[in-house]
Amino acid sequence: MLGLFGTLNLASRSMQAEQEGVAVSGQNMANANNPAYAREQLQIEASTPLPTTTGQQGTGADAVAITEVRDALLDAQIRNETSVTGSLQSQQTALQYVQAALGEQLSSSGATGTVGSDGGLDNDLSGLFNSFQALSANPSSLTNRQTVISAAQQLAAQFNQVNQQLSGINSQLNQSVQTDVTSANHLLTQIAGLNQQIVAAQASSGGTANDLIDQREQALESLANLASVQSSANANGSVNISLDGHLLVSGATVDDTLQTYDGGGGQLLVSGVTSGTPLALSGGTIAGTIAARDNGLASLSTGINALASQLISQVNSIYQPGYDLNGHKGASLFSGANAGDISVTASVVNDPSTLQASGVAGDAGNNQVALALAQLANAPQAGLANQTFSQSYNGTATDLGSALATVNSQLSDQQTVQTMLQNQRSSVSGVSLDQEMTNMVSYEKAYQVSAELVTTLDQMLTTVIGMKQSP
Amino acid sequence: MRVAFNTLADSLVNQLSTLNTQQNELQKQVATGLRFSQLDDDPSGMGAVLNLQAQNSQTAQYQQNITSLQAVATSSYNAMQTLDTISQRASEIATLADGTASPQQLQTYATEVTQLIQQGVQAMNSQDQGQYLFGGTLDNQPPFVATTDASGNVTAVTYQGNSSVASVEIAPGNTVSAQTVGANTSGSGPEGLITDSRNGADFFNHLIALQSHLLAGNTTAISSTDSAALAKDQDNITLQVGMNGVIQSHLAAASAVATAQANSTNNLISQDAGADPAQTMTELSAAQSAYQAAVQSGASLLNENLSLAYYLA
Repeated sequence: MLGLFGTLNLASRSMQAEQEGVAVSGQNMANANNPAYAREQLQIEASTPLPTTTGQQGTGADAVAITEVRDALLDAQIRNETSVTGSLQSQQTALQYVQAALGEQLSSSGATGTVGSDGGLDNDLSGLFNSFQALSANPSSLTNRQTVISAAQQLAAQFNQVNQQLSGINSQLNQSVQTDVTSANHLLTQIAGLNQQIVAAQASSGGTANDLIDQREQALESLANLASVQSSANANGSVNISLDGHLLVSGATVDDTLQTYDGGGGQLLVSGVTSGTPLALSGGTIAGTIAARDNGLASLSTGINALASQLISQVNSIYQPGYDLNGHKGASLFSGANAGDISVTASVVNDPSTLQASGVAGDAGNNQVALALAQLANAPQAGLANQTFSQSYNGTATDLGSALATVNSQLSDQQTVQTMLQNQRSSVSGVSLDQEMTNMVSYEKAYQVSAELVTTLDQMLTTVIGMKQSP
Repeated sequence: MRVAFNTLADSLVNQLSTLNTQQNELQKQVATGLRFSQLDDDPSGMGAVLNLQAQNSQTAQYQQNITSLQAVATSSYNAMQTLDTISQRASEIATLADGTASPQQLQTYATEVTQLIQQGVQAMNSQDQGQYLFGGTLDNQPPFVATTDASGNVTAVTYQGNSSVASVEIAPGNTVSAQTVGANTSGSGPEGLITDSRNGADFFNHLIALQSHLLAGNTTAISSTDSAALAKDQDNITLQVGMNGVIQSHLAAASAVATAQANSTNNLISQDAGADPAQTMTELSAAQSAYQAAVQSGASLLNENLSLAYYLA
């Protein structure tokens, strides 16, 4: 039998437990807007009963633990999907830059309703071949010659500009890989540190280091956004992290960190610092950036350079045997070898009469070369998969558009998946103010009742003490 | 499903973001009249439009080529008409200069023929956009040069051009020349307007002969030789005028085809890229309504008066 003092102790412990409950609800409500937070619950268990002659007698209740409500499977899924989302987002951003650099955008003229692209290589290619056409109609006209030179300069400048912008984007993407690798290393160190704190905290208190686990989960998801890491839990509460089967963090120790290396041509890839092992990344922003750089951007760059190279060689091969107005031949219209260095030969820029449009020396009205150059517009090019210059360019541009459209679609789907998982996690781990308010009222009422018990016991003890004073 | 405190806010933000994106896209379509404007909006559609646009640009240039050729053909026709008039007057003079004409009349006719030759040379040195029309591809110098003696009579007219013509593309693979060469004595290639060895035309030399015979009072030579020679020249000029007409008809037909192609291509571009105004406006209206409903319902649910805490307080 507990007796009056035993029951008074029971009421006291009950009040302590309910106070802790109110504190836990307060903690939950305070973190209602903390996205990394998982709601906590107070575990209250019945105290050890006393054996009596009438059987087991309860001794009240104790608060035994504060646990957080987490679904480890959901957390793992969210980390995996975060990697996929990160990869797609970085690809989308990179390809949007590339699309902008190409400058192909349709507009509609309000007055005439005519639809067309405002600029870009497509227009400039047409401009060059049209200028050859005009020259063929009047080959000795200095005005038409000047038009050809201007169109050729415009096209060459556009090639140079696109090439320069694509090179700039390539550099930015490499810089982005470097920055992400630095961020990933910072997170690896942070996670190892949190592992150490979690193990120490749990060993000393015997409870769960909820807030530290929340911080670590947030760091893990940030890391997953950068690279598709795998994590595995240890019995002591720490986690190990590996990437492409390569161990990076084991418990409180950072076994290896990431570094970039030149995979050829200045294109940065990722390897382990200690091991030097090249790492294949399947997700995260680093992988997405590398994929956009090595696929969409590289394809476009290759296509543009092939186009420029073919244009230079084909135009020059027709142009060089031609004669200018002074009876000279042999010069080239374009110099350079690709989109980066294509330019119009300086001599012809300075003197339009040196443009070689005639097929016969001294025959100013002969348009043989000008006509052949004009007809090049519709000639399939073996070096461009038997497409015309315009078709080849449009195909290259359309391929980029398809790549970006695919990424847009995949990202849209992926964001839906991500949102669904986030909602599921929110359903499990998120704080409900209504629930917390209800819990708080429950704890409050229980506290009030326990306090009433103390009051009752006090009266009973007063009665007992009064028994001795009474004669 | 358990609903956490932030679930509603997060969902509302996502929903409003999605609806805003839809509204933005639809508003852009309404404002521009275009279903797509960038490569990733509709890659295949954009590819088709770029190809059609290149085709359209080429067709526009063919139209300009046709216009240039028509200008050359028209200018050439005008010069031929002048030449035809000269030829007819020369034939009249050859007919009038018979045995009944007085020496003074023959002298007057000779002076007129000299003037006709000079008019003819002037007509044959006509230019279009700075290029001489009848010099073949040697079009940067006057094709005909007249030489006169001390009395002002024309003693020779020399041809400085060649018998080559420049052809210009008016449709893919279809080239046409509107040029007429002044002389061709090679026996092949385009026929010469003044001189052609295949049909005996040699207009200026025949006029010079007439001029000489008039000055000499040799009416016999005029009737026996000059009239027949001038008749060949007239036939040749008539033939060239006819050929010019054929070229002009060809160019007019090509121009009509190019115009039709341009219209057709523009229509195709509009069909491919154009947004259906009614459908787009309807979709925009639906998106606006959805946005409004989401804002209203969201705001209502986020109102603090609906929380349990409000009632407990």
